[in-house]
Amino acid sequence: MPEDIADVYRSTYRALVRFLYRKVWDAERAEDLAQEAFARALVHKPENARGWLFVVAANMARDEARRAARERRHLTLLKSEPETVGTSPEDEIDADTKRTQVRAALDQLTPRDREALLLWDAGMSYDEIAAHTGLARGAIGTTLARARRRLVEAYDAGIEGGQHVARG
Amino acid sequence: MSHVDDGALHAYLDGELPSTERAALEAHVAGCPDCRARLTEERALVERASVLLGLAQPAERPAPPLHQLRQPRLMWRLRLPLAWAASVVLALGVGYSLHGPSSTAIPHAASPAVAREEDRPATRAPEDKAPASLGRQEFSRTNRPSDGLTSGVEAKAAMRQQAQPQPRDAAPPAVAAAPPSVTVAESPPSAAADLSALRGRLVATEWPIIRREPARRILGSEPVGVPGLAVRVIRRSPAGDGTVLVEQQLDSATVIQLFQRPATADVAGYAAPAPMRYDRQAAGLRERENADRLARFVGPLRVEIAGPLSQDSLNRLLEQVKPLP
Repeated sequence: MPEDIADVYRSTYRALVRFLYRKVWDAERAEDLAQEAFARALVHKPENARGWLFVVAANMARDEARRAARERRHLTLLKSEPETVGTSPEDEIDADTKRTQVRAALDQLTPRDREALLLWDAGMSYDEIAAHTGLARGAIGTTLARARRRLVEAYDAGIEGGQHVARG
Repeated sequence: MSHVDDGALHAYLDGELPSTERAALEAHVAGCPDCRARLTEERALVERASVLLGLAQPAERPAPPLHQLRQPRLMWRLRLPLAWAASVVLALGVGYSLHGPSSTAIPHAASPAVAREEDRPATRAPEDKAPASLGRQEFSRTNRPSDGLTSGVEAKAAMRQQAQPQPRDAAPPAVAAAPPSVTVAESPPSAAADLSALRGRLVATEWPIIRREPARRILGSEPVGVPGLAVRVIRRSPAGDGTVLVEQQLDSATVIQLFQRPATADVAGYAAPAPMRYDRQAAGLRERENADRLARFVGPLRVEIAGPLSQDSLNRLLEQVKPLP
């Protein structure tokens, strides 16, 4: 039903963009992909629109990553975002640095742990994460516990390891 | 109860622990200082991870209205050159109709998609498994566009059609004899039914857009397409030869074209209906450009497929073709 998708669009669009952003690391591209996922949902009218959207989005991000790897065009890890909230150059550098380090820390997670964490942060329930990842529902808590611990540890290790990561 | 494991603690903190387990966990933690301490630690960990992820946020921008997504932005970015070419062809067509055949000697513009198609090697690789365009999970779903969307597409098609100074239903004889396009004029006048001669050119911009009903009338049956793909537009041949073109959106950047017409309208060489037969075999004398067209009979229709994909991918898509829902 289109009304349902309209509801899902209102409630989930930002979360889907956020989810995609942490995969493609390009805000505009993440929005494009999210919008395309919704455009497809309008056509396909899936029963469980939310779950469907995240599966489609994850596939698109994966295809995107493969293409990017093939074309070797991801030499600059991060685009500088003109909309960054920082008001001074120091703030912007700081925000960029942190983002780069979060990204590096996320990269240290296993794909499955990372996926579960990103889905949780995008507002999905354990049931939805289980359906998306194929994990048993009872394993989601353990997966998230491990993912969070590794994220925090990797981030802190990156900070201690020096600022060389900062210039992306 | 033994000590609580990390998974249960996180599920509890996430509010995802089933109520019976939650009660048991709370009872245990109330009497176990170790687990209480761990619960505090894990709560801090959950919050910290959430804060860190919050550092990697895209800038918030307002979402475009949902209805605008029906024509994905990506597509139009890529299709702009084609739209430009379309207006050129349209202008040429108008000029042609006003001034007659003597005034045209202008080469037609080639679209990027067509150029890619023509660049592909003629050889086919049947062993090439799982082409990227078909491997995507979302395309294999069998959900079909509903009437709601189809009518939206048709409405848009109708709007565009009104903007074009072209006849709507069966083409008048004058148009069939001298179609308002340089491309068609290149074909022998008698070869009105020769799809291959028309294909791979700027067909899309020269063929009037029609609704589903006229398409059904022309074909004498339902037009066909690949299930699950959005129908972008339905067109008919300007030559009035009973050919209908269904364009479907494979993804934001890829449109496939399904040329179809009643099998009985076929010229010699296509007469015997045989599934999955190629023009190459059917008409050995054809030139290379036409040698690797894929064609198939679907019910009463002969269907050809074209698009900027490998022969193998096109072949797989063609195998799926069914009457549109």
